[in-house]
Amino acid sequence: MVEHAIETEGLVKVYRGRGGEVRALDGVDLRVPRGVLFGLFGPNGSGKTTLISVLIGLQLPTSGSARVLGFDSVRESLEIRRRVGVLPENYGFYEHMTARENLEYLGRLDGMPARELKRRVSEVLELVGLKEWADAKVKGFSRGMTQRLALAQALLKDPELLLLDEPTLGLDPQSVALFKGLMEELVKQGKTILVSTHLLQELGHICTHAALIRRGRILAQGSLQELSKAYREARGYGYEISVAAGAEELVRELRGIEGVTYVALENDVIRVRARQDVTEQLSSIASKYRVRSLVPLAPSWDELYRFYQGERE
Amino acid sequence: MEKILVVARKEVLENLRSARYWGLVALFVLFYVASTYAIGFAIRGFGATLAGRQRVVLQLSTNVVNAFAYIAPLLGIALGFGAVAAEREKGTIRLVLSRPIYRDDLLNGKLIAAVVLIVAALALSTLIAVPLAVALQGVNVTAEDFARLLLLLAPALLLALAYYSISLFTSVNASRSSHALMVSLVLWIFFTFVLPIVASLIAFHVLGPPPAITFRPNATRPFQPGQEPAQLREYFQKYSQIVRTVQLASPNARFQELSSALFATRQQTGAYEELSKVLSSHWIDVAVLAAYIAAFLLLSYIFFLRRQETR
Repeated sequence: MVEHAIETEGLVKVYRGRGGEVRALDGVDLRVPRGVLFGLFGPNGSGKTTLISVLIGLQLPTSGSARVLGFDSVRESLEIRRRVGVLPENYGFYEHMTARENLEYLGRLDGMPARELKRRVSEVLELVGLKEWADAKVKGFSRGMTQRLALAQALLKDPELLLLDEPTLGLDPQSVALFKGLMEELVKQGKTILVSTHLLQELGHICTHAALIRRGRILAQGSLQELSKAYREARGYGYEISVAAGAEELVRELRGIEGVTYVALENDVIRVRARQDVTEQLSSIASKYRVRSLVPLAPSWDELYRFYQGERE
Repeated sequence: MEKILVVARKEVLENLRSARYWGLVALFVLFYVASTYAIGFAIRGFGATLAGRQRVVLQLSTNVVNAFAYIAPLLGIALGFGAVAAEREKGTIRLVLSRPIYRDDLLNGKLIAAVVLIVAALALSTLIAVPLAVALQGVNVTAEDFARLLLLLAPALLLALAYYSISLFTSVNASRSSHALMVSLVLWIFFTFVLPIVASLIAFHVLGPPPAITFRPNATRPFQPGQEPAQLREYFQKYSQIVRTVQLASPNARFQELSSALFATRQQTGAYEELSKVLSSHWIDVAVLAAYIAAFLLLSYIFFLRRQETR
């Protein structure tokens, strides 16, 4: 089994039009490990949708290469599409057909045997909460229902890799919660999910790994810990200590630690910033007090994005 | 092959549920039935003689061929213009193409569905309209007449498929189905209305006005049918030749030539010409219609396979 679910090397995609050339992907080297929820974070127009289209062979790269589940995206795109569930951006359903009919049609195109397809259609409709709407025409579906159906079609063949392009765009909080819960559950089952979004705050916290993309270039990629390391080294380390008693005395003692640049107390919670990793010193001092918790603060994906963007530009 | 049939089945079912398809079938039947009124006049005018029967059959075939000449292209366009562009517009193409399916399989499935739907529409309207013509106007349609009417479905299918291929090609290259429809309709208008006028104008321009005919005193007609002056006959032969040459590449003209030949009868016996004879003298019509289908389908495949679905 290949180590990475997705691996790209120097992927370039250039659109040539009347207005000139647009480099939608500009040398993308991406590694998505297996079995993780991987975020592809970037603003609109950063190349996320193009990258997904290239990965499944809907578009051909101008140069560079991409391998998905070990298959080449140009020469073996059919093998990729056999194994990958995709929720594309700007998709649509056959509105005069019911949810079930749409899924059955797409399932047949996936090559699923009739009996398995029937069972699986019922399963995924239930999974996304559309069981009661199975025989309703898609024409009457709300945005949220359509998006759930789109997730259902991606899950239909029980793929080992899911590519979800802006899956929560325009959804109500209830549907967003459903999507997030499902994604986490699927990763627990061993699936790999690549989710692209510009809504970092909405999906960032459920992703364990990510690539930050801007103007067709990967700014940084890796696990949250790996990406946080460089951020902390540059911006310092943050900690949050929740104290039951003796907070003021603890604050005084913390200020004496070498490298600590900032200590503030607010409602029994002490916030600490330091130039280097002072976890050990903090733990040692905190053990002498009635401390409820000591948590090293991880930067948000938003902070990381801004940080790496600044690093590159 | 399995996926081709999956696409074809879905396309057929989707169209059978659409008002557009049944609207065209209804229009077809309406054209057909309306044409039988003229045949009613023919029956009353020519009676039951052999010549009279030949005229009735000729009238019937002319009307039916005209009805097919108008409706069959529209049927082809109706099935073709949205085949790819509408899927692109609605975004369904992104869901379909993210499946393990070859792009040519998608077009093959749509083509098979189009053939099924066109044959169904043509056969259905014939099967509804001919008995109606018999019942309402008393047209005496013999088994041989009926067989020829059914045979007419073959050139009508070719004509509908020629327009289907043209509109499929426009559909493959358009981002909006309305654009594909517009281009297809412009081509239909050109071949149906503009080119025949242009052909006539060219013929008149080349030949000048027809020779003058002198009426005999008190005559209601300048001459009896078939006894026209040689000078006039020659003029109109040349005229037809020029018109035919200008319209050589017109699918409509080729269809009308081929279809009319199917109903050509022998002078003495009134029996239809043998099919092999019709085909040997009209192979160019079949070839032109087939060339339209082959060329535009090939172009559609090439462009669709090369096109990258960016949106």
